Amino acid sequence: MLDSLPYELPELVTRAPLDTHRSTVLPEWVDWNGHMNVAFYVTAFDQASGAFMRNMGLGRRYVDGKLGMTFVLETHVTYDREMKEGAPMRFATQLLERDAKKVHLFHEMFHAEQGYLAATNEAIVMNIDYASRRSAPWPVPVAERLETLWATHCLLPKPAKAGRVMGLSKKQ
Amino acid sequence: MIELDTGAPFDQHRAIVKPEWIDWNGHMNVGYYVVAFDQATDTLCQQFGCGFEYTRDKIGMTFVLEAHVTYDREVKEGDPLRITTQILDHDAKRLHYIHVMYHADEGYLAATNELMLMNIDYASRRSAPWPDFAMERIEKMTAAHARLPAPKQAGRLIGLPRKK
Repeated sequence: MLDSLPYELPELVTRAPLDTHRSTVLPEWVDWNGHMNVAFYVTAFDQASGAFMRNMGLGRRYVDGKLGMTFVLETHVTYDREMKEGAPMRFATQLLERDAKKVHLFHEMFHAEQGYLAATNEAIVMNIDYASRRSAPWPVPVAERLETLWATHCLLPKPAKAGRVMGLSKKQ
Repeated sequence: MIELDTGAPFDQHRAIVKPEWIDWNGHMNVGYYVVAFDQATDTLCQQFGCGFEYTRDKIGMTFVLEAHVTYDREVKEGDPLRITTQILDHDAKRLHYIHVMYHADEGYLAATNELMLMNIDYASRRSAPWPDFAMERIEKMTAAHARLPAPKQAGRLIGLPRKK
């Protein structure tokens, strides 16, 4: 486990949910149906996970410094409404759970101007040791930040769209 | 329409990990696993007559409602992928299925993607029953896949285990 990180960490944002990430639907994210393709919702959400990790002190410098990486183990997406090219996106991220090596995140994507919910994404992200490419406990300063964040995020209600199991309801 | 393949699981889709699918961690990025899986969905939908031509000819579209991905092992640039598909369930408008991605040469499991797909009317952009030609084929493939056991990655609930 790393006891420290050899760079200055950004000021910690403890707002719950975390609401710093913004993005725009790129032309190359649109498919033959004329809307953002399913895969690029995941890319957009992955960038929101990246914003969460930067807030924890795990940005590009963490990888470039050959200290570690973060890998997504599992993700669940609900596609709630279409997004078109150029649409502005706003994200809200809730920390649902954390342990020594992993976080369980819940993102909501909103159309930033019209306000509607476009999609949600639940993700499990794990810390990875750079050299061994295997799982490793969070660096100490990151674990401390996660606990600080948890103190505000644990007060949020569990999102209705979290914890879904897929299936066809027999009655519609 | 092409001849219906009732092999179980459906095992036609192949792909190669493209250079632009790689991220700064040196492996296929999480979003591009879903690109690869979505292309496997296109291969599947062609079986039902609901592929590219279905949309190009303004008959209908298929929208994904929900997706669950497990990332089981890394794949690198140039790796050959084999994606198999198992139909789990369907109703008048929807299809529930799971893709399983393997490294085509080494054989290991790389990822799975469980999906709920819905048929969409082109003009209204709203849900609509599968056309008869598609439903007939969906039922045949569902029957062919019925004998397969449900993959353990299907029906998963995301979470962190309470005790380690």
